[in-house]
Amino acid sequence: MALKVLTVDDSKTIRMIVKKAFQPFDCTLIEAENGVEGLAAATREKPGLIILDITMPVMNGVEMLDRLKADADLKDIPVIMLTAESGKDNVVNIVKKGVRDYMVKPFKGEDLIARVRKILPLAERAAEESPEAKPAKYFTQIDDIIVLTLPAKVTRPVTVEIEGSLQSKIKEMSEASLKKLILDMGGVTETNVSLIKLIISSIQQCQKSSIAVKLVATPKQGEELKGFQETSALSVTHSIEEAKTAF
Amino acid sequence: MTELDRLDLKGFVTNSVQRVFQTMLSMSLTPGEPPPRERIADGRHIVGTVGFAGAVMGNVNLFVSLEFAREMTSAMLGVPAEEVGGEEEVKDVVGEVCNMVGGDLKSRLCDAGFPCSLSIPTITFGEHFHIESKGWVRQERLGFQNSRHPALLEVYVKIST
Repeated sequence: MALKVLTVDDSKTIRMIVKKAFQPFDCTLIEAENGVEGLAAATREKPGLIILDITMPVMNGVEMLDRLKADADLKDIPVIMLTAESGKDNVVNIVKKGVRDYMVKPFKGEDLIARVRKILPLAERAAEESPEAKPAKYFTQIDDIIVLTLPAKVTRPVTVEIEGSLQSKIKEMSEASLKKLILDMGGVTETNVSLIKLIISSIQQCQKSSIAVKLVATPKQGEELKGFQETSALSVTHSIEEAKTAF
Repeated sequence: MTELDRLDLKGFVTNSVQRVFQTMLSMSLTPGEPPPRERIADGRHIVGTVGFAGAVMGNVNLFVSLEFAREMTSAMLGVPAEEVGGEEEVKDVVGEVCNMVGGDLKSRLCDAGFPCSLSIPTITFGEHFHIESKGWVRQERLGFQNSRHPALLEVYVKIST
């Protein structure tokens, strides 16, 4: 059964980032934008985990936490605080109330998942329902090199899909001792923010697993990448063959 | 010189802003001279504000152009600029960035012996408006620049009487 995760934050943006972080896993996300809604959702849904902000209108996170801990049905639900407040006394007081972890914003989705995994096992989505299982079409293998071929248009859903599938692919690569990946964006027709973020996150994911990455792009795309601060320093090859030689 | 005067607000907040933009938006900001407000407030612009109150009182105001705010939203949500929805998304992102910077400063003040609470962010949005805060003991104006846009952050603090 999918793990129910309740994210309570007055910022829709933060709830969206949390939701995206859990996307590769067998989880159902429930959202609430303040402590009152959060308590109601916790009572109704009995989530397996609560990610809780502090500074919120109507009812803040500390009051919600107090009420959770005072409720016999809800007090054992693990809570991770995710907040911009990091003052030592504040953290100590809240930790004493029985939260399982305390994470300070700014944060990365992957860091949140790492914290969650210390508390609960997270199962990846089953192959047939996994959004990242379908895009196996993006990956091919040439000798000992995996090639990730990006589609013509990289939109946000595509980015989420590929990031999830890359995570699984990296695991497979590690098990098979494959340490080289070519990221081929030659067929992409539009250089946009989603593409830039996907390139950066893919390279970072690979680097974490000690996988060497070569980027294949057309000369025009190479010039466009220089226009973005995040990708301006990346070195680019212009063909798969050139990338293979560059390893 | 009071304990409040001894705090390196400028260094702390500069570091905080850079960290928030880098972590949440994958965007590098370079600190520099604070831009004249007119440079940002010339057209449609947006100001995120968080306040803190307790042993110290203060405000953090983040001024960005609407164009930069939309770029920030695109980066934080991971969507192309053309897919950024209406004003609500943009306001939410600027408010959340402000909340993180203000929360960091509030925590630093608490650790320095000035316990205080943080307000939820407010957003002022439009054109031809000015925001001024007066009567503060300490005021810092910090300028930042990404590859295309300036940003201005103002911090005001005073000890509560």
